[in-house]
Amino acid sequence: MVRRKLDRKEITAAAGCILLAVATLTFYIWHQAAVIQIGFQTGRLEEKMAALKEDIKKLEMNRAALLAPERVDRIAREELRLVEPQPEQIIYEDINPTDDYE
Amino acid sequence: MNNLAPSYQTRVQKRTIILAFLFFLWFLVLTLRLIELQVIEHRRLHEAVTRQSQYERSIVPERGAIYDRHGQILARSLPAPAVCLIPGDDDLPAELFARAERLKNIVNLSEKDLQKIKSRIESKENYIYIKRKIGWDQAERISRLNLKNIYVQRENRRFYPLNSLAAHVLGGVNVDGEGQSGVELQYNARLEGVKGLSLILRDANKRRYDWEILKEPESGQDLVLTLDETIQYIAERELEKAVREHEASWGTVLISHPASGEILAMATCPTYDPNDYPPSPFELARNRAIQENFEPGSMFKIVTAAAAREAGAVGFNEHFDCSEGKIRVAGWTISDHKKMGILTFSEVIIHSSNVGTIKVGQRVGQDNLYRMIQDFRFGQKTGLDLPGEENGIFHPLPEWSRTSIAAHSIGYEISVTGAQILQAMNIIANRGVLIPFRIARTSLDPTGFSPGPADAGVRIISERTASELTSRVFEGVVTDGTGQAAQVDGFSVAGKTGTARRLDPELGVYLASRHLASFVGFVPADRPVLSMVVVLDEPKYSLQYGGQVAAPVFREIARRVLLYLRQTPQFDPNTKTVTAQLRSQERP
Repeated sequence: MVRRKLDRKEITAAAGCILLAVATLTFYIWHQAAVIQIGFQTGRLEEKMAALKEDIKKLEMNRAALLAPERVDRIAREELRLVEPQPEQIIYEDINPTDDYE
Repeated sequence: MNNLAPSYQTRVQKRTIILAFLFFLWFLVLTLRLIELQVIEHRRLHEAVTRQSQYERSIVPERGAIYDRHGQILARSLPAPAVCLIPGDDDLPAELFARAERLKNIVNLSEKDLQKIKSRIESKENYIYIKRKIGWDQAERISRLNLKNIYVQRENRRFYPLNSLAAHVLGGVNVDGEGQSGVELQYNARLEGVKGLSLILRDANKRRYDWEILKEPESGQDLVLTLDETIQYIAERELEKAVREHEASWGTVLISHPASGEILAMATCPTYDPNDYPPSPFELARNRAIQENFEPGSMFKIVTAAAAREAGAVGFNEHFDCSEGKIRVAGWTISDHKKMGILTFSEVIIHSSNVGTIKVGQRVGQDNLYRMIQDFRFGQKTGLDLPGEENGIFHPLPEWSRTSIAAHSIGYEISVTGAQILQAMNIIANRGVLIPFRIARTSLDPTGFSPGPADAGVRIISERTASELTSRVFEGVVTDGTGQAAQVDGFSVAGKTGTARRLDPELGVYLASRHLASFVGFVPADRPVLSMVVVLDEPKYSLQYGGQVAAPVFREIARRVLLYLRQTPQFDPNTKTVTAQLRSQERP
């Protein structure tokens, strides 16, 4: 059996094909790695976002508890020594005190 | 050599055949065993291995939040850790219990808790909660111990940031986050969302090594209530003060916006903290505004008065002789708290004369009175979207006795709830139209009160009857009658007091020393912004009348709420006699 000598063209074509295949494979692997990397990043960001949302909820709850009418009332009366206005101390903007309703 | 070669070849061939045969036999045995395992015993073994290596657990979704009408948070779920024990096959119960016992001081386990854990270990349960809804610092300490079989799981815990505020409306949830009472129960399906499913994978020793979510949970929807946090606080504070001052057994206040039927506040005293649900004793969870039946006494005269006017049985100028101060009906003597002389129909109601009202009731007649009580929807639920509402007790006409007209006219022989009596007063406030109550809204209300649905109203009495009763009777109750303590500076108030003797269930008699004091009314009388019922059971000491005990609570709450709602007074608040003079001029 006599082996046929390959000409330059065929070698170039074969090398090109191999190169293309390797390049495609490399690109595919790089692409997959990038997708996985982005997936990890997205996952981390989603976790971070969920944690922040949770923090917001906790802070909103703390705010609600701090602004509870009972607490505000107690602080106003006991710590700030505020007292309720007497009826004559309340000024209504829309009413004329001289109006004679009788 | 030549002789030996064939025999050697033969031997090798023989051995090869034997070896091949043995291999074949071994392969055959293996194949048969595989067929047995994979085909014949497949189902049983698959089930066994699944049971051993994995199990499913439901994932409780985040429960929806509850807001007041302005978006203030009343209830919300937040993540909270739970510590659990997942036993393995090779773990001895004593070892497992010893591990659980190490957490005793960290999560404050009582002896009772430990006994419960022990019995669950002994009964070989797959998943045992040691303590749920613990703090994150406790969870951190447990994780650091790195105990075998002990895991920290993430759950949701219900928080009520305003503690006991609106407790009876909110209700409460159990340890699994399921609504048990109040709106938590009523709207449980909407709030709880849809449960998810997770698959937990275990090794041969039943040690958990991985888990995956089979079905994502769907969070519950949020709920907006018609309640106003500030009005609720005002109502609860004033009610608590009155109950304490009069040493009443219990009290309730219900405030609504008559035109929309929206409940602005619903308070019951004594109350509880829904963060520690269920309360102890459980009786504290009873919402007295809708779950307590009581004989209304004189408050019920609003129905008698409406029936009298609708039936054309009496005119406002007609006089009734109440000078004796008592009346005898079918062997029973019913008296007034004092002799009042001759009164007009308006004055009978204004001064709450039992004698006069019974005479009015007799003029109205059994059928008309019965029909009016029915039309006012007594004996049936108001339809308020809260669980456990009572119907009240309203006997059918064939069961009425010879005393029934008299008794019903003055609010006896019939039991009502606070919500029912407020609904009746709202019919007067809405000029004869019944607007159903509601406690849940579709959206937040940052500005004011939205009107009820256009087709929601049902006319019960004529507009004229309602208007006349308001201006000629119920405003008079507050300016000149028994409800003077309910006067609010600068505003006209319409209302009716009630003082009902309590029935001793054992003796079957009404006791002179035990009363139920009440007041129902609305303000301003001509364009009501709020209506309210105040009920106090068994106030002690000398003050026992509704006008003395409940009317001042109405006044204080109404004054503060009107100020909060930035309602401009109808007249100069310093000129306190105006309304009385105007009304007396109007009265014939």
